[in-house]
Amino acid sequence: MSEARSEASVGNAATFDTHPGADAGVTPESPLQWSRVQGRVTEEGGAAEQIRVVERPFLGHLVLRGGAITLDEAVRAELGVSLPGKPLGLVLDAEGSRSVQWVSPDEWLVIVPAGEEFELENRLRARLGDAHFAIVNVGGGQTLLELSGEKARELLMKSVTYDVHEHGLPVGKAVGTVFAKTSVVLRRPSEERFELVVRRSFADYCVRWLRDAGREYGLRVESASP
Amino acid sequence: MTQSNRLNQGGRIDRSRRLSFTFNGQQYTGFAGDTLASALLANGVDIVNRSFKYSRPRGITAAGPEEPNAIVQLGATEAAQVPNVRATQQALYDGLVARGTNGWPNVQRDVMSWVGKLGGSFMPPGFYYKTFMAPASMWMTYEKFIRKGAGLGRAPTEADPDIYDHFNQHCDVLVIGAGPAGLAAALSAARAGARVILCDEQEEMGGSLLDSRESIDGEPASAWAEQAVAELGGLANVTLLPRTTANGYHDHNFVTLHERRTEHLADTAAGAGREGEVRARLHRVRAGRVVLASGSHERPLVYANNDVPGNLVAGAVSVYIRRYGVVPGQRLVLSTNNDHAYRAALDWQEAGREVVAVVDSRAKPDGDLVKQARDAGIRVITGSAVMEATGSQRVSGAKVVAIDTERFVVTGKVETLECDTIASSGGYSPVVHLASHTGKRPQWRDDLLGFVPGEVKGMHFAGGVHGVYALGETLTDGADVGAEAARAAGFEEAAAIAVPEVAVRQESPTSALYQIPHEKPPLRAPKQFVDLQNDVTAAAVELATREGFESIEHVKRYTALGFGTDQGKLGNINGMAIAARCLNRSIPEVGTTVFRPNYTPVSFGAIVGRHCRDLFDPERYTALHQWHVENGAEFEDVGQWKRPWYFPRRVNGKLETMHEAVARECLAVRRGVGILDASTLGKIDIQGPDAREFLGRVYTNKWAKLAPGRVRYGLMCKDDGMLMDDGTTSCLAENHFLMTTTTGGAAGVLEWLELWHQTEWPELQVYFNSVTDHWATMTVTGPDARKLMSEVTDIDLDREQFKFMDWKEGKVAGVPARVFRISFTGELAFEINVQANYAMHVWKALFAHGEKYDLTPYGTETMHVLRAEKGLIIAGQDTDGSVTPEDLGMHWAVGYDKPFSWIGQRALTRPDTAREDRKQLVGLKPKDPKVVLEEGAQIVLDPEQKIPMTMMGHVTSSYYSPVLESGFALAVLKGGRNRMGETVYLPMSDGSVHQAEVVSTVFIDPKGERQNV
Repeated sequence: MSEARSEASVGNAATFDTHPGADAGVTPESPLQWSRVQGRVTEEGGAAEQIRVVERPFLGHLVLRGGAITLDEAVRAELGVSLPGKPLGLVLDAEGSRSVQWVSPDEWLVIVPAGEEFELENRLRARLGDAHFAIVNVGGGQTLLELSGEKARELLMKSVTYDVHEHGLPVGKAVGTVFAKTSVVLRRPSEERFELVVRRSFADYCVRWLRDAGREYGLRVESASP
Repeated sequence: MTQSNRLNQGGRIDRSRRLSFTFNGQQYTGFAGDTLASALLANGVDIVNRSFKYSRPRGITAAGPEEPNAIVQLGATEAAQVPNVRATQQALYDGLVARGTNGWPNVQRDVMSWVGKLGGSFMPPGFYYKTFMAPASMWMTYEKFIRKGAGLGRAPTEADPDIYDHFNQHCDVLVIGAGPAGLAAALSAARAGARVILCDEQEEMGGSLLDSRESIDGEPASAWAEQAVAELGGLANVTLLPRTTANGYHDHNFVTLHERRTEHLADTAAGAGREGEVRARLHRVRAGRVVLASGSHERPLVYANNDVPGNLVAGAVSVYIRRYGVVPGQRLVLSTNNDHAYRAALDWQEAGREVVAVVDSRAKPDGDLVKQARDAGIRVITGSAVMEATGSQRVSGAKVVAIDTERFVVTGKVETLECDTIASSGGYSPVVHLASHTGKRPQWRDDLLGFVPGEVKGMHFAGGVHGVYALGETLTDGADVGAEAARAAGFEEAAAIAVPEVAVRQESPTSALYQIPHEKPPLRAPKQFVDLQNDVTAAAVELATREGFESIEHVKRYTALGFGTDQGKLGNINGMAIAARCLNRSIPEVGTTVFRPNYTPVSFGAIVGRHCRDLFDPERYTALHQWHVENGAEFEDVGQWKRPWYFPRRVNGKLETMHEAVARECLAVRRGVGILDASTLGKIDIQGPDAREFLGRVYTNKWAKLAPGRVRYGLMCKDDGMLMDDGTTSCLAENHFLMTTTTGGAAGVLEWLELWHQTEWPELQVYFNSVTDHWATMTVTGPDARKLMSEVTDIDLDREQFKFMDWKEGKVAGVPARVFRISFTGELAFEINVQANYAMHVWKALFAHGEKYDLTPYGTETMHVLRAEKGLIIAGQDTDGSVTPEDLGMHWAVGYDKPFSWIGQRALTRPDTAREDRKQLVGLKPKDPKVVLEEGAQIVLDPEQKIPMTMMGHVTSSYYSPVLESGFALAVLKGGRNRMGETVYLPMSDGSVHQAEVVSTVFIDPKGERQNV
């Protein structure tokens, strides 16, 4: 049976590069593709509204499972940032394009630029060796929405149950919370914006909800082109 | 009509903005700042409704949420209808249209009133139960007429044009009520830096300060209120919510507030020029601390004919005069047991109208207000009370008599005073409602003659709600409590604000007085109403006690006291006092009453918020949803997923029926090749050195030897041995597995795994992660599947290299994929997993290559038929939580000899699960091939047996098979496996009886050769 095993297997887990490569001529579709077809999402750019929601599609999303002590050194070596020191913490690298988020006592969400995740997974696995951990690529299953604008907080108050005031959700905090009738990951990476990590199959529902809830303020949902 | 009762000056209305409105079909005018009630009183409208049970004419009684009579139906158009609005709380706007909810055909001439007049003495408490309940079948018919006559408003028959929403709020201190106590509390907390929400149900914040005769720092009390509100409004840490009623207090300081955002402006937001804005908003507040500053409601006295229009509570008279510049009559008699009510007489006289007399039940009242009234020349009759009002459509006089409250008798001669208005005051009831919403019972205080809130964790009380009534004390109390709440919320430095100066007023004590004795015994005297909204009289309460109801909770239910939409805000305490008198007990001995949310009615729109129409429930889409829509799929809801059900084609210009489409799709899979979007299947990534061991414990079968590259079907049982879910799990690497679950079971199975791992076997090194959304899954199946796959993949598809129940990695249409040789159709099948963002590319490539094979997309219905033809179960359809693997004939998937115990093992070794007569899964073949048995149909062995028949089992899945050219079914049947070849019967509700033969569950390819090619 060993010949059936993946070439890319490292140790006792099977890794898998999900991307066909740039020369394959394959156009990916983000979880908001259907919303875009329905006219609920427009290309990035356009006149300013009181709230802007921008999808950052095709990013690399990895779930890291394991003890903090086990993972921290490897993450620091490969990403240049430490694991968040506190529960509900969110840290970004110097460029602000790679983040590590505390999800539960043995779970972290790592988001990196598109296409970096497979290499990162391999490097982390190599560093972690025989330790007990898991790395799971979930990039196809979720997408990232950025919220900004002066009424973004009000929009969130209509949508999530968590306290989105500065006291409840300061910069550098990320939480899982109820969003309308589903759930999302809500992050505060910077003073200017919030982020929602939404599951693929619920993405259109989330966008429809945001558009409806934001109607009284003026809101546009945009997505970067693939 | 002119506003005959409107004063030329005074009040907080804007006389420059005239508003016209319609009530009961008649046009009137009022001013900006009016409530509907104040405008009606200004126009001299006496009768606003008919009463619920006796159809008596009723007028406005109060000025706030406690109003029992002026319940109106609002809305100029059908779509804008709102029932159950209290005229005392509805701001007047131009074009407002309202009518009384009771009275048919109208309030002036009411058909039901003969029932009230004739039936009066024949309608004791329990009348409706006793009279109309038998025969039970007729109740619906009676009810229709009773409802039409009584009426509590009606729902609109057209869709609401407005939108509503919810706001999730968080704060350190929530202050409920913006009267003197609430404003002072909010200032203390806000100045300490706490996040404060201050809500108040009225149009304008200030509460009793807005109609007070008193001064604060030498200024009118209302001026201090304005300053306080202005300061609070300017603070970034304060949210002011006017027109917002705190309706429900729930556990852990979760409070629901109902904010009316455009209802004071027009029927609809669009009508107010605020298109797209929400009409009402429900705030869901998580408060660190709650300060309840809800004040008190004045109790009316209970005397004969106290419901005739022109009877008001005393405080309401002052409110109408001082806030709205409306004097609701010409000649006033005030009946009171306390000092504070005297302000009504003083306000009345200062408005230039006649005060006939103040009738005080106390022998020697001598407080400051009493002196003031005497000094103003008002006649004060002591030791007496108004015993009865005269008049029918409007008060024409007051029968006054000396009374002995101890012995509950009249002691003097009756004097009749001519008047058109009787104001009464029986003291004050703290508004304890919210404090009792979580079940805390209020406590009676003899010194206050009222209930105060019981202790509630996280809640503080300020002002009238806990019996602090004098203005100066109220301000001090509010300031202190606000600081205390802020400190409790973590603002340790919080200090009470400096309270302004208020002159102290001397008051003589209030006497305990609720019901006024009458010269006739209660059951013969004219009606003395306790609960005006539900038409409950003092005699009814007395009768209830005589009939053996001793607890106030029972008295309430028997008489309907307090069961109106006003929750008995005016009547409850009086009712308790009367029950207590009749039972010769004290009020607390008779019991307290608790209130439930909501404090006042909330519109459904506000409760629903945005969770309506296409946002009622999430719709989950797969990555291929667009293709399905564009290719005409009909969808089926599976959990929240939208799954293609079938793909009807247009044949000869006509769209296929479901039956035709499914038959075509089935044959395509059996004879050519079909494709299914199986992305919704639950997928769980399992990693860790103990992953294999864990699988062995949660599945019934063995996993120790499953090699990387192989796939196995597994059954998962609950600890009771009953099947809970099934699916395949693939070994990706020695310590790495991919589990699939049913679509509906995905979340539950992941929780199940976590539960057992975290609570029972934390020593096992294994992690579970959901990857359901990450992978898109496409099943290519049918005899031509390999031919099609060979065109799009670099994977070696040779049957010896890539066997049934193997998985391989490679590229499909240029996209990295894992391909699994598993089959849910019984045909050769390849299940392709690709990262979901690339799914559409792969799907379209398969169709591009599949055209020559007539690649046929199929949906869940065809999937069901194909799997049932093979006897493959669906957990949750063929099982219902009472079916074991053995019952399903799947003993081959149970590893009784596994070394470690697994979930369900013990249960499956009980004698009960080994019984031979358990319901077992079998196939059924109807004798008439055209018959498709009904799913759920019961199976009997003797069709002639009389009802109740002996039921032996039921049909779980049933379809028409185009291959068999016959209906066929799966069923669970007692001792089914020993009944092969027997005939069973299925009696239908129309009297017909189907016959079917018990057969194997596998209808096609019993040896399983087709999937193994």
